Amino acid sequence: MKLNILFVNPSGFFLFALLIGLSGCLGGDMRPMNELNDLISGSSNGFREPILGNQWLVALANYQGKDRIEMIDLRKRTKVPLPGLNRADSQPISVSVSANGERLAVVRQRADRTELLIYRRKLGTLQTLELNPKGVPRRVSLDSSGRVLAVQISRGGKWNIQVIRLQG
Amino acid sequence: MNLLISNLKKVVYVLGCLGLCSCISRVDRLEGQFAVSNQQDPSLSGSGEKLALIVDINGRPSVQLRDLRNGEILPLRHLSRNQPHSSPSLSWNGRYLAVIAQRGNQRVVIVEDRLTGRSHQLPIPRERIPVRLSLAPNGSQLAVQIAEKGKWRVQLFDLSSKIEPDQPFGSSLSTSLKGIN
Repeated sequence: MKLNILFVNPSGFFLFALLIGLSGCLGGDMRPMNELNDLISGSSNGFREPILGNQWLVALANYQGKDRIEMIDLRKRTKVPLPGLNRADSQPISVSVSANGERLAVVRQRADRTELLIYRRKLGTLQTLELNPKGVPRRVSLDSSGRVLAVQISRGGKWNIQVIRLQG
Repeated sequence: MNLLISNLKKVVYVLGCLGLCSCISRVDRLEGQFAVSNQQDPSLSGSGEKLALIVDINGRPSVQLRDLRNGEILPLRHLSRNQPHSSPSLSWNGRYLAVIAQRGNQRVVIVEDRLTGRSHQLPIPRERIPVRLSLAPNGSQLAVQIAEKGKWRVQLFDLSSKIEPDQPFGSSLSTSLKGIN
């Protein structure tokens, strides 16, 4: 009956079409992934600085006031161990991940130093990258291969971005 | 003659040392610092060929997209307004650029499709404020850090019904590679 009114009454039809169009513009089909969101929110006091790889979510998770880097396999819906990455004497600031989840770029604060590092997950190794000229790194972004990174660096009170290619 | 050979050996030795040093450091600068001051929030495309960043334009933090192969600034259709922008994120070939922008008194998440010229706004309730975001390499998922009631949390959104995947070069998808440069 309601449908009949829509098609018999032209103004009703146009209103209906307008509503459909508006809902499209407002992104009504971009759905929250509720099951995964429950998994993420249930694990820590707060989650921030998210980075997505092909099947990975990496973020800083807060446990009792201390941040640590966590990685979630979105297909298996499980946490991925990151041996040797989180240390009691350091605080992660920014993190990025390659598409295959094998390399992570990390900016962290340790004692009075802010360091830029590459973590190789399979090997469980951390490599410090020295900035030249010297500067204080803040945010980092890796490309999908994990071999090119862009770093936001403070030098002389100004923020700049440097692009670095890793060999090997 | 002996002097010449000895000098030649020294030159070869120095060149060898320099070569070894560059291997050990394993870091090579692709680009120098860009000329504009106050650049923040870098985000590389999956291919590593494009870089989105936030620069100050007339005091307004604005997203800018650069092609790293030639340093060219690429045009953005929907993101020349609604500043301040923050937290840009790119898909594999840079077809999709997601960014947090300002509409009225609300922070909103906008995804611009550079191929079709369309933009999509993520449906986030007003009381949830987007702070950071990350687009999956193929553009099919978006992770958003949200501030709500003084707490941070991350929410994942499935964009696959709205967005055609932006695949790596050489994949079967052809339309995602057109019109980007």
